[in-house]
Amino acid sequence: MKSVKLYVVAGSAVALATLVFLLVWAPGTGHQSNSRQLLTLYCAAGMSHPVAEVAKKYQDQFDVAIRVQYGGSGALLSNLRAANTGDLYLAADASYIEIAREQDLIAETIPLAILRPVIASAKGNPKRIHSPRDLLRDDVRVALGNPDAGSIGKQTQIAMTRAGLWEDLKQAVQSRGVFKPTVNDVANDVKIGTVDAGVVWDSIAAQYPELEAGAPLIEDPNFLMEVTIAVLRSSRQPTEALRFARYLSARDKGLKAFRRHHYTVVEGDVWEREPQVLLFSGGVNRPAIEDTLKAFEQRGGCKITRVYNGCGILVAQMKVGERPDAYFACDVSFMDQVQDLFLNSVNVSETDILIAVPKGNPRGIASLQDLAKEGLKLGVANAEQSALGALTERMLEGAGLLKGVMANVRSQTPTADMLVNQLRAGGLDAVIVYEANVSQVREHLDIVRIDLPSAKAVQPFAIAKGSQHKYIAQRLLNAITSAESQQKYKTAGFRWLYVSDKP
Amino acid sequence: MTISRRAPEKVTTGHRVRSDVPFVVGLCVLSSVYIVLIAGMLLADLSFTTPANFLAALRSEEIRYAIRLSLISCSITALLSLWIAVPIGYLMSRYPFRGKAILDAMLDIPIVLPPLVIGLSLLILFRTRAGQFIERFVPMTYAVPGIILAQWMVACAFAVRTMRTTFDQISPRQEQVALTLGCSQSQAFWQIVLPQARRGILAAGTLAWARAMGEFGPILIFSGATRMRTEVMPTSVFLELSVGNIEAAVAVSLLMVIAAVLVLLLVRLFGCTAALETNRI
Repeated sequence: MKSVKLYVVAGSAVALATLVFLLVWAPGTGHQSNSRQLLTLYCAAGMSHPVAEVAKKYQDQFDVAIRVQYGGSGALLSNLRAANTGDLYLAADASYIEIAREQDLIAETIPLAILRPVIASAKGNPKRIHSPRDLLRDDVRVALGNPDAGSIGKQTQIAMTRAGLWEDLKQAVQSRGVFKPTVNDVANDVKIGTVDAGVVWDSIAAQYPELEAGAPLIEDPNFLMEVTIAVLRSSRQPTEALRFARYLSARDKGLKAFRRHHYTVVEGDVWEREPQVLLFSGGVNRPAIEDTLKAFEQRGGCKITRVYNGCGILVAQMKVGERPDAYFACDVSFMDQVQDLFLNSVNVSETDILIAVPKGNPRGIASLQDLAKEGLKLGVANAEQSALGALTERMLEGAGLLKGVMANVRSQTPTADMLVNQLRAGGLDAVIVYEANVSQVREHLDIVRIDLPSAKAVQPFAIAKGSQHKYIAQRLLNAITSAESQQKYKTAGFRWLYVSDKP
Repeated sequence: MTISRRAPEKVTTGHRVRSDVPFVVGLCVLSSVYIVLIAGMLLADLSFTTPANFLAALRSEEIRYAIRLSLISCSITALLSLWIAVPIGYLMSRYPFRGKAILDAMLDIPIVLPPLVIGLSLLILFRTRAGQFIERFVPMTYAVPGIILAQWMVACAFAVRTMRTTFDQISPRQEQVALTLGCSQSQAFWQIVLPQARRGILAAGTLAWARAMGEFGPILIFSGATRMRTEVMPTSVFLELSVGNIEAAVAVSLLMVIAAVLVLLLVRLFGCTAALETNRI
């Protein structure tokens, strides 16, 4: 009897040690190579098939381990917020990404696929359900996503409210149907046969061979949601996280798997481990964007080849066949000339055109008219080669001063920064430049403002239609239009024009 | 199943003993409602899957990993639960102290709380400074030890309740006699109480094991659902359901049922044999 204590204590300790050994010994538990970088991806469980496929390929190809955490999109969102760790978040649809963005959890997003709500019924559509109105019939039991729990429910409510059917449909579901938390729960109910029809995403319906995707819930091609992957702010390895996100969203890599699993995918970029993006930019933008570009390259693991030049030269290059991925013009007038090569442009900033004179304004220049005085040595930008030159010419012509002022011009350059240097070197009495050109050297110069509405330039950014890196270019635009960048623009002498289309 | 009926005693009063048949029939009918429902559920599950689905599930490396992880983690949880439940149960049963009612209520919190809340609370706990300190030595969040912790948080509460009842039912008289004969409190516990509590310990361990086997909510939140890493059997069911693979989900569910029934039967068989041997001693 004295040995009872020994038996119990030693026996249970040995049993525990054996079990722990078995646990540690089990293949796959904690044996992932410690030297490999580890990325944590929170992934909506409904996306597990394509994501697991792509993650496996990526792990095999690169020395990175990807730990995919599956769950409901909403539950994962709560998880990543509470844990404040992890690198990537792939939600079932964009509504969760928006919530995450509002909670400042997200740094970048890349779209993957497009979802549209459809009415799904059992194969063969035995109840002949052809339109949303059929869901109201007494003999039809319907499952809908809960509007408060998931996005399919929310979108169903919006679409049906627009069609004027929501209240009746809600009543029909409450009396003989069911509200379910996720879209897969709805599809499962239709598959098991507990309901006759359900509203699900088109891609989900296509993944169930037992289901028949019927009519779209709403006849509006713009009524859709995006599946988006986001890089989290909590990521300690954003470059690696972004690289995997780019791989997942590449048209020749991850998107192929999504397409195989019946998703309607977005166009996507072409995969390159370290992509090269060619940016044509007017020289005026350089002081405002250079730091942002450097940070973007560093974070995104990509290379941006910048070509800063006068916009006239850049346009000429494009007209002879050069194709940048993005173009950041000095003025909208130099975007219009090549707009057919680009998607819709976005106006980012504007800057005034003014007269810069040496410190103390020794020649007493007070207005545009004064530039026509005899004996002045002026510098202006070349009208053929630069936006500033063309705008200056147009402005002077409008004011009836073109001839008089041009008679004093001693220097014409393709970019305005050369004019500023010549002025500072003492070679000129005045130059016509952008405010942004002189913002960094204001202590060495004086400025004279020009009181004309035409004395300003608006800088638009556009992504090339033919670019193979549209999504990187879009993220670059997002970086340029971020709040942090806005501050740099103000310091560089620009006024901010960009207004986000997101609420 | 045989039900032995008490032999009617002869009564000397004029009162006539009624037949026990209606009582026993009533018992059987009411019991069968529940049992038939359980059997019905299993049969319905079987109808939704095929042997091919079972084989496919067993062939899947992920599911085999989940089965193994479930069995091992549940056993560790059961053992750890007993290590804690026996002393707490004994303490609560034998010693009166101030605040006992509050402690008693606290011990029930893991039973009352929704599983998701336990997972979330663990997640938040391990974001605190103390939690981060522990994680430096044993990774908990989204790791295998976290699965055991999540299972243990709930399973242990059930084991504690069972052990408390077990010790309550063991008369303290023998212990007191042992004390008067010169035993220390510790000797009385190890030599008198613990052997008597053997069946209770077995019941508590089994209950903790079974509870851990079915645990899902806290694991999903605290340990995540990473394939080949933190995937236990309920996670496999959830993941298969999430992609509409109901057949595989049902196959894994039935595998869970089979594994659980086998283990419980083995334990009970072993428990009964051990109890008989104890009685012989």
